[in-house]
Formats: sequence, structure tokens, C-alpha cells
Amino acid sequence: MNYELITWLIPIPPLLAFFVIFLATYKNNRLSHTLAIGSAALSWLLSMIIFLAAVINPKMIEKGIISSISWLPTAQTWLKIGIQVDALTVITLFFVSWTILMIFIYSVGYHNFGQPEGDHDRPGLPPHGAAIIDQDGKHQHVPSIEPMYARFFGFFGLFAFGMYLLVVSNNLLTLYIGWEIMGLCSYLLIGFWYAKPSARAAGQKAFLTTRIGDVFMLIGLVALYTITGSLQYDVIFSEDVLHNLATSISPVMGLSWAGLIGLLVFFGVVGKSSQFPLHIWLPDAMEGPTPVSAMIHAATMVSAGVYLAIRFFPVLSAGWDGGSVLTIPMLVMAIIGSFTALFSATIAVAQKDVKRVLAYSTISQLGFMIAALGVGAYIAAAFHLVTHAIFKALLFLGSGSIIHGMEHGVLHTQEHIDPQDMFNMGGLYKKMPKTFATFVIGGFALAGFPFVTAGFWSKDEILSGAFNGGFDIVFWVLAIAAFLTAFYTMRQISLVFLGKARTEAARHALETPHTMTIPLFVLAFFAITIGWVGIPEFFPVIGGLVPNWLESFLGMMLHGEHAPAAHHSSIPLITSLVVSLGGLFLGGLLYRNIKATEKDPLEWSLSGFYKVLANKYYIDEIYQFIFIRPATWVAEKVVYQIFDQKIFDGFLHGVGKISIWLGDKFRYWFDLPVINKGGDNMALGARKIGTNLKVTQSGRIQDYMVLALAFSLLGGFIFYLILF
Amino acid sequence: MENNLLFYILLLPTLAAILIVVLPTTNKNTIRWTAFGSSLIPFLLSVLVWFQFDKTQPGFQFEVFAPWFSAIGSSFHFGVDGISLPMVLLTTILTPLAILASYGIKDQVKAYMALFLFLETGVLGVFISLDLLVFFLFWEIGLIPMYFLISQWGGVKRNYAALKFILVTIAGSLGLLLSIQIVGITTGTFDLVKIYELWPTLTEANFQKAIPLGLSLTVVKAIAFWAFVLAFAIKVPIWPVHTWLPDAHTEAPTAGSMILAGVLLKLGAYGFIRLVIPFFPVEAHRYAGALAALATAAIIFGALAAFAQKDLKRLVAYSSINHMGFVVLGIAAAAYAWQSPDNGLIESATIALNGSILQMFNHGLTSAGMFFLVGVIYDRTHTRQLNELGGLWAILPRYGGIFVFTAMAALGLPGLNGFVSEFLVVRGAWGIFPLATALSMIGLFFTGVYILKAIAGLLHGPRNDHWLSVPEINTREVWVIAPLMVLMLLIGVWPASILNLINHAVNFFF
Amino acid sequence: MIPLSWYLILAAVLFSIGMFGAISRKNAVAVLISIELMLNAVNINILAFWHYHSQSLGYTEVNGLVFAAVVFIAAAAEVAIGLAIIIAVYRLRKTVVASDLNLLKG
Repeated sequence: MNYELITWLIPIPPLLAFFVIFLATYKNNRLSHTLAIGSAALSWLLSMIIFLAAVINPKMIEKGIISSISWLPTAQTWLKIGIQVDALTVITLFFVSWTILMIFIYSVGYHNFGQPEGDHDRPGLPPHGAAIIDQDGKHQHVPSIEPMYARFFGFFGLFAFGMYLLVVSNNLLTLYIGWEIMGLCSYLLIGFWYAKPSARAAGQKAFLTTRIGDVFMLIGLVALYTITGSLQYDVIFSEDVLHNLATSISPVMGLSWAGLIGLLVFFGVVGKSSQFPLHIWLPDAMEGPTPVSAMIHAATMVSAGVYLAIRFFPVLSAGWDGGSVLTIPMLVMAIIGSFTALFSATIAVAQKDVKRVLAYSTISQLGFMIAALGVGAYIAAAFHLVTHAIFKALLFLGSGSIIHGMEHGVLHTQEHIDPQDMFNMGGLYKKMPKTFATFVIGGFALAGFPFVTAGFWSKDEILSGAFNGGFDIVFWVLAIAAFLTAFYTMRQISLVFLGKARTEAARHALETPHTMTIPLFVLAFFAITIGWVGIPEFFPVIGGLVPNWLESFLGMMLHGEHAPAAHHSSIPLITSLVVSLGGLFLGGLLYRNIKATEKDPLEWSLSGFYKVLANKYYIDEIYQFIFIRPATWVAEKVVYQIFDQKIFDGFLHGVGKISIWLGDKFRYWFDLPVINKGGDNMALGARKIGTNLKVTQSGRIQDYMVLALAFSLLGGFIFYLILF
Repeated sequence: MENNLLFYILLLPTLAAILIVVLPTTNKNTIRWTAFGSSLIPFLLSVLVWFQFDKTQPGFQFEVFAPWFSAIGSSFHFGVDGISLPMVLLTTILTPLAILASYGIKDQVKAYMALFLFLETGVLGVFISLDLLVFFLFWEIGLIPMYFLISQWGGVKRNYAALKFILVTIAGSLGLLLSIQIVGITTGTFDLVKIYELWPTLTEANFQKAIPLGLSLTVVKAIAFWAFVLAFAIKVPIWPVHTWLPDAHTEAPTAGSMILAGVLLKLGAYGFIRLVIPFFPVEAHRYAGALAALATAAIIFGALAAFAQKDLKRLVAYSSINHMGFVVLGIAAAAYAWQSPDNGLIESATIALNGSILQMFNHGLTSAGMFFLVGVIYDRTHTRQLNELGGLWAILPRYGGIFVFTAMAALGLPGLNGFVSEFLVVRGAWGIFPLATALSMIGLFFTGVYILKAIAGLLHGPRNDHWLSVPEINTREVWVIAPLMVLMLLIGVWPASILNLINHAVNFFF
Repeated sequence: MIPLSWYLILAAVLFSIGMFGAISRKNAVAVLISIELMLNAVNINILAFWHYHSQSLGYTEVNGLVFAAVVFIAAAAEVAIGLAIIIAVYRLRKTVVASDLNLLKG
């Protein structure tokens, strides 16, 4: 089979679906979603062909399947773009294609396909529900279909294109193109309900915050391109180039070029993967429809940041000998990653919104991966990337299902409550058993429930990577974060599903349709099994039962340079067990039976600090104060009003005024007094002389004759005088 | 290639303008369609030139030569190379679209259309002239119709804007005339091709013969250099001589803004590439840093000022300053490295200049599109204030989609045209002015900010029932914007379709 | 033989009478007659000089006669036109008093 062609084709179907939906079928909901899902399925199929082929015959991709074309003429050479299939591409394709396909299918149910149109629904707002008369002649409120249903699938198609493009590309330029296209889709989809001011603001915030990272990344790419003359992985990650990068000194703070470029590109990752200090956009991004949160803000786009970091690891770690002396970018990654992991886990603990907990959890888990890369645990990071994408997509879809069920209850009871607030739920396990079962699987995977779930294996590997590398601080910070993770996961599960219903709406919640629950089961399946491919061989008892396929597979990427630490200690294993089970236990204990009027137990135990957590450490407010307002002020006051209007226009107007003043002076000091007056006076003088002389003009002929005579005589006399 | 295609392209719009003048005034539609139809012919001819152009050959092609003022060594000499050809194509593409966009003009349609076609001749003349005096002639011809378009069919403050436009640009033209005279007198010819050979070889002795003022050649070259720079800097416009632009763009009629932003601004940048760098390599190299600094200032402050606007059209106008800043940054890089022996520098500069020229073309497409879309909404609502608009996406879904697309192209979204050129400029400039390039990223960030502000202010928000009766974008308007959108996408996806030609020309240039 | 001076004195007297009449008379016709007198005085002068000149030369020239004839013609034309004007003025203004015809007064 022609794997090159197949790989080239992978991103294309969703793009075509995007164009067809927007140009032709946007009025037909059924056709639109069929096209979108069909295209996603086609991409999925192509990805699976590549995946299976690579898994069956790993030799095929040992060197990587690379194919490129000349794209951009640059002086004497061309910038080439193309596709590449290697181990990282393959495993990324695996989780990307599965989650994308599942979320596409899920969206059909989520947007209430098949339901009537709402009575007061309008584009730009979530559907409010429709009043219908059912078979028994009773008035009922039921969910209504999304007014911009087709548009949603159009955007989704474009997004899928961006993600696939990013994954299959063999160079940083097309990766960046996919990266930015996803950014656009993220903006459009967070602001999908653009009529809501909060959604509009969230979309802008997401786009702009990530753009801060993107412009740094662009500079990093440009610098790399300038030095190496290429952006293709096989060129820039070749040993000579890496050696050059690591040893040449850049003009900034004595960093090597590898260090500088690594930091710049990593800043792009910070934006995209929502790491501190650019993490603020992701929680707000929950304003978008839940499939968006699941796909973009959990499984694919934010993972793309980590994907890039993994992809870029050779440069990030250029000059690293595998020991405990990290390169500067790695050090920064370790610090930012572990700090973010802990920092956002603490915020997640105090959130009430079911999706916001997951959002902070995502930030925290991405922090785990970044920290893992920072300490050189390359495979662990990739492993956690895959497992996290699967179980976090599952959790988001589950939360969407919960919200959907709650909304059903809200519509039914006409209660005015927030269907996303976990304190309005409770006891949903009876109403929504399928959602409950899958959500628990996802939650336990997130918490790292030992042995069974995928999350345990990947997180354990990160912890042991940190520990065995000798990075104790990173290890303990991550351990605490893992404990908090387990705690807030169980808090969430308990608040939502356990205990008794705290509101009328929760009592009337309803299980969601099959289009929503089937994807949940598929993802839940993977949330368990996917972990088994990466069980370390030295693991007590079960280690070695299943071969550690992942390590040998991804090991192809490393060219034997950074072999993972061979020695093994049981401390990280015990720690993972303790934090995971301990957190789950504590969370369950505290939140199992919260009553309707009861406060969050943390609120009294943490008192003032709880408020700080609930307000996310006031980071938004701080940014507002130190960045956004000054920037607005500079733009409006300094640049526009002072520079443009006062100084430059002032100068122009000044020139104008001086000209007018000069003109005035010329007129009043020269033109009027000299030229005009002079002329006038001459005329006046002549007139006066004429007036005085006019008495001679009597009009009588004889007078003239006398005059003529007199003058003749006078003339004669003068003539006489002159002659004689 | 011996034919007179360029001559026809140049002259046809004027002939059409004369034809329109003699048409009966009463039948406005005939006038409109005649104007539109006749502006299509130069477009088709320039497409023909595009495909017949042999990009592997250096120098000018399609040359047309006719003696004009042989006493002072000036003649009608026209020709195109890979640098001017994209500009010619851009002009001939935008003019029919701008005419199609101005079917809403009701007053004095005849005068309007005639002026428009006359304007096209002026602009094309600048791009294809290979004679300095003729260049200047067309440069001035381009100003006058634009002045009348603004002052007759413009907005509320049209007289102020038109006066500011004409006075500031004419101030620049004075510098242009001065330098052209200096160059012409010292070399004894106005023919560009000859001057390219003569001017750098001028010695002090034969210079003194021409200008017996006792000034040294260096001083005169410096004067000519700065006079050129002033003229072109005002036209581009480079920060801080840019303030005529927001007023002129805002007050001009929609189609006027399209041409003004789409084509007229390119004249300045084109002048830099065609005249300043080849004539004054030493001075250009010396002051390239300053030029780059000003370009960076334009990028940053243009974006910030755009962000500060409350009037949508003014916002778009300021975005031109922001985008043209990238053009100038690329030119500064090229100026620094021109004829340098260092291959790395030359490569960077080639890429930067590629980016500049492509950015000129791209900005022509996107800014024309943006101005047109602003015009569409202004025609319907008679307001451009962002706080009065908003919530229109629910009412105008198709218009909203088109607007977002065009805005994203302006923002430089990868996959659309703006990104390619900005990437090239940044890549090229990084190798020469790393600090300026790094700082320009601030501007690139704020580009995103003001574009989102425009989208949010115009489209987002709760459905605005005040504008409920506003009609959706109509077929004629879709026909105006669709070709632009197709080109934006085409260049974004397959930039080589146009860049290949530019790249060859730029390689010959260095 | 009558000496030349006599002719000249006669002519001067005639001329002075004519001039006085032309300046002092009110009637335009009288002014015209006075002018004729002055012209005749000039003619007498011309003829007298011609005669004496011819005598001193010893043969007869026609110059003086031609002069005199031209003056007669001029005088006749003048009278014809002058009278016509006066008649026309009389028809218009019902007067031929010279001092009343002062349209040229400044």
C-alpha cells in the first residue's frame, strides 16, 4: 500500500467537509452532519491503516516515512513541506482519530438533532428548549435543536483538518499552520454562542492569550530557520545541526541557540497547552459547547502543545547528557510544568462548575507532561499525553452528558438553577447509569486508580521518571498534585452522582441518547486498556506479563541517546498508590453526602484561602490590572491621542496654521498696504488732478479755440526761444 | 518580447473614461456597465502579460518605447519585470471590483466613473514607467482623481481629509521632483535603464560639469536620497508621516478606500524598491537601520492605534499602517544587504524582499476586501461606530462568514495569504535586524487584538433588533468580494503560484 | 507795384477779424463764416508769396496755385460738412448757439 499517499490524504476529508458545508449544505442539518462525520470517519480509517501497519511492522517507520514537496520559493532554494510518519505520529494519530471521531458522533446528540426547533431560539444563543404537546395532549418542555447546527459541524471539520495537519506534517511550518487554524477554530467554537457576552469574551481571551505564545514561537521558528536553513524535522533534528545549535551562543543572556530557540518555541507550548502564566484562557473556554471542550480543550488542541514539546525535545534537550544537569529549556519546563500541575490542581479543588473542575484538571495534567519532559522522561510524557487525551475527552463528554441530563430536568421543572453547578446535582447515578459508569472510569483514570486504569500507568511512569532522575522537588510537587487530582476527582464524582438529589431538576434528570453514550463507552474502553501497553517491565508481579510495547515503539524516536534510567525504586510506586487511593478516599469521605443547603466542607476548613482558590488566585484580576488596562491605555491615550492626534496631526495642523499666519501677514503687511494701497492712490491722484483740471473743459468750442490759440502762441514763443 | 500590450493596458482606461464622458448622463446603468466592462479589458490583458512573461529572463520585458521630450532626454519608455508585474495585476484586478462596488453611487455617476478609470491609468503608469519624468507625471496624475473622489463623494469630513491628503502627498512630490531633476541633470537622461548604468559610475569630475554649484557629489546624493525617501515614505506611509492616511481612508467613498489602500499605498513601497535602493546603495545601507526602526514603530503603533479606534473604518485604515510596516521592514532588510558580498545576508534579504512584495499584493487584497465589507455595512446602517453596531451575525450570517474570513486573512492566519508574506518578511528581517523583528512581534500580537475587536464589535453580541431589517449581502457584492477571497485562499495554500515569479525577479535584483 | 507787406497786412487783418469772430461769436454759422475768413486770409498770403516768388524766379510756377486750390477745396468741404452738422444739431437741439453745445464739458 502507498502509505505516503494515505498520509497525505489524512487531513483532507474534514477540510472538504468544511468547505462543502459552508458553501452548499449549510441549510440541511442531516446532510451537514453526515458529511462531517463521514469525513472524520474517513480520516479515522486512513489513520488506522497507518497505525496498524506501523504496529504490525515497526521497521516500516524506523527511519520515518517522509515525503515532501517544494512549497515556498526562498532565494535560490525552496522551503519544503510534507508529511512524516514516525512512532510519535503513529501514537498521536491513534488517539486523535479516535477522539475526533467519537466527539463528532457525540455532537449529534449533544446538539439535539431530531428535536423540534425552539420557540425563542436564535442563532448565537444556546437552545432554550421548545414547548410541545405530546401524545397525551399535555404541554411539555423538551430540548430544542441548536439553531446553528450545520455551522458547528463545519467548524469542527476545519478543526479536525488543523489537528491532522499538525500531526502528519514533517516540518514546523505546516505544524504551525495547523496550530493556528486550530487556534482560529478554538476562538470560533468557544465563541460559538457569540450572543453571550461571556462566550464572546472567552473566545477572544483564548485566541489572544495563545497568540502571545504563538508570536514567540514564530520568532523561534524563524530563528531556527535562519540558522539551519530548514524547518523539516529530519534536518533540524539531525545530530550535526543539534550539535551546532547546542554549542553556538545566541546574543540573549548567554543562552545557546538551542536554548533560546527552545525557550521561544516552548513559550508557544505554554500558550497552547495553557501552562502558567498563560493558563487563564482554558477555564474560560468552557463557555463553548461541551464537545468543543472535549475535543479542543482536552483531547487534541491543548495536547498539540505537548505534542510539539515532545516533537521538539531534541532541540529542547540539545546538549543534555541524560544526567541531572538539565538544559535551560528543560529546567524551565520542569519548573513551569510542576508548578502548573500543583497550582491548578489547588484551584480545581474549589470549583463548583462541573466543567471548570475538568478544565483546571486539564491544565494540571498538561503540567505533568511538561514536567516529565523537563526531567527527560520523554516516553512517560508521550504515554501520559495519549492516556490523558482519551480519559479527559471521556470526562468532558461525560460532563456534557451530565449537563444535558440536568438541562432536561431544568426544562422539565422550569427551575431557575445553573445546570452546571455540581452543588445542584447529586444522586445522578440512578438517573444516568451509563454516564455514571463511564464517568467513574474516566475519573479513576484521571486519579490514577491503581493497576486497572490507564492513568495510573502513565502517571506512575512520570513520577518514577522524576524520582529516578534525581529531581526530588519535581517528584514531590507532582506527588502532591496527584493527590489533589485524586481528591477533586472523587469530590466531583461524589457531588454529581452520589448522595441524594439536591434539586428538583436533578431529580428529573434523564439519561442522554445513544449518540452520546456510545462514544462514552468506546472511550471508556480505551481509558482502561490503553495503559496496558506501557507497563514497565520491572514492575512487581505483573511487570513483563505484557511486553512494554510503548517503550520499544517510541524508543525508536530516541536513537538510543537518552535511554531512560534503568535503575528502579519502589518509592514512586508506593507514592502513586498512596496519593491516588488516599485522595480518592478523602474526596469520597468529605463529599459523599452533601445536603442541599450545606456548604462546601473545604469552605470552613480553609476559610479565607478557599475564596482565593475559588477566585483562581485572582490571576485574571491581576492581569487585568497590570497588562490589559495599561495596554488599552497606551493604545488609546498614548499612541492614538498623544502621538497621532496631538503630536503628528498637531505638527501638520501647526504647519497649516503657520502657513495661514504667514499668508495673513503677507496680506495685511504687504499686499494690502503696499500693492493695493499704492495702486489705489495712483488712481486717486489721477482723479484729483482730473477734477482740478476739468474747469478748463467748458464744452464751448470757442474756449477750446482760445486755448488752442494760446498754446500755439506759447509753442511759437518757445520755438522762437529755442531757435534764436 | 515585442508587442504593445502594456501600452494598451495603460491607455485603455483613459479612452474608456473619455467614452464615458460622452455617454448620455441620464442612463446611469449604461455608464456603470460601460465602466465595469472597459475596466475588465486591461485586466484580461494583464493576465495575458502575466502568462506570457518569461520569469527566467532578467531585466524588463514587454518594453514599449516612444520619444517624447528628446531635448532633455525623456521618452515614453514602459516595461515590466517580476517586481512591477504583480502590482500591475493587482491594480487591474482591483479596479473592476472597485467599480462594481460603487454601483451604489448615485450622484454624478459619469464623473465618478471617468475619474476612477483615469486614476487607473495614473497608477498603472507609475508601475510600468521606465522613465523618471514619465514616472513623476503619472505619480501626479494618480493624485488628482483621488482628491476629487474624496472631496466629492466622501464622508462628513471629506474636505478636511481631501485637503490633508493632497497637501501632504504633494509635499512629498516636491521631494520626488527635486531628486528626479538632480538625477536627470547629472546623468543627462531620464531613462531608468540607462540611469541604472550611469548613476553609480558617476565621478566627481563629470558630476561637476553637470551641476556647477560647488556642491560635492556626496552631498547631492544625500539630498536626492532624502528627498526620494520623504516622497515615498509619505506615500507608504511610514510612521510618523502617516496621519493623512486614516483621515483619507475613512472619508473616501468605499471604492476609493479600496483603491487607496489596495494600490496607491503600494506606489511608495514600489518607489523604494525601484528607485531608492538601486540609486543609493550606500545611503540605503547606512540608513536601513533607521528605516527598520520606523517600520517597527509603524507595525506596533499602527496596531495599537487601530485597537484604540471606535470607528470601524478608521480601525481598518490604521491596520494598513500596521501591515505596510512589514513591507517597509522587508525593504529595510533588502536595503541593508543590497549587493553585499555575504551570501547569508543576501539570502535573508531576498526572502525579506520576496515577503515585502508579496505582502504588498496581499495587503492589496485584504485591505480592499475589508474596506469593501465596511462599506457594505455602512451602506445599510449608515453608521460605522462599533458601539452602535454589534449582534449582526445572527442577522447577516453570510456577510458575517465573509467578514470573518477576510478579517482572518488580514490577521495573518496561516493558510491564508497574509501569513505567508509576514512569515517571509520576519524570516528575512530576522537575519538582518533581529531586534526590530522581535519587537515587531508585539505589533503582530496586537493585530490579533484589533481584528478580534472588530469582529466582536460588528458581529458578536446579542442579536441587535435595531438592525433587524438590514438586508443580507447581495449578489453583486458577493461578486466583488469572492474573487478577493479566492485569491486570498489560493496564495495562502499555494504561494508559489505568485511568489515564484517574484522570487526570480528578486534574485535578479540582488 | 503794390509791395508785399500790404498783402500781408491785409491778410493779417482779415485773419485777426476771422479769429475774433470765431472766438467771440455765439452763432455757429457765424463761427463757420469767421473760419472761412481765416482760410481766405491764408489764401491771400499764399497767393501773394507765390506771385512774388514767381517774379523773382522770372518764370511762373504752379505750386502756389495748387496750394490755394487745395485750401479752397478744404474750405468748401469744411463748409459743406460744417453746415450739415450745424443743421443736424439745429434739428436736434433747436439751437445753433455755440456756447449751448457744451456736451464735452468736463
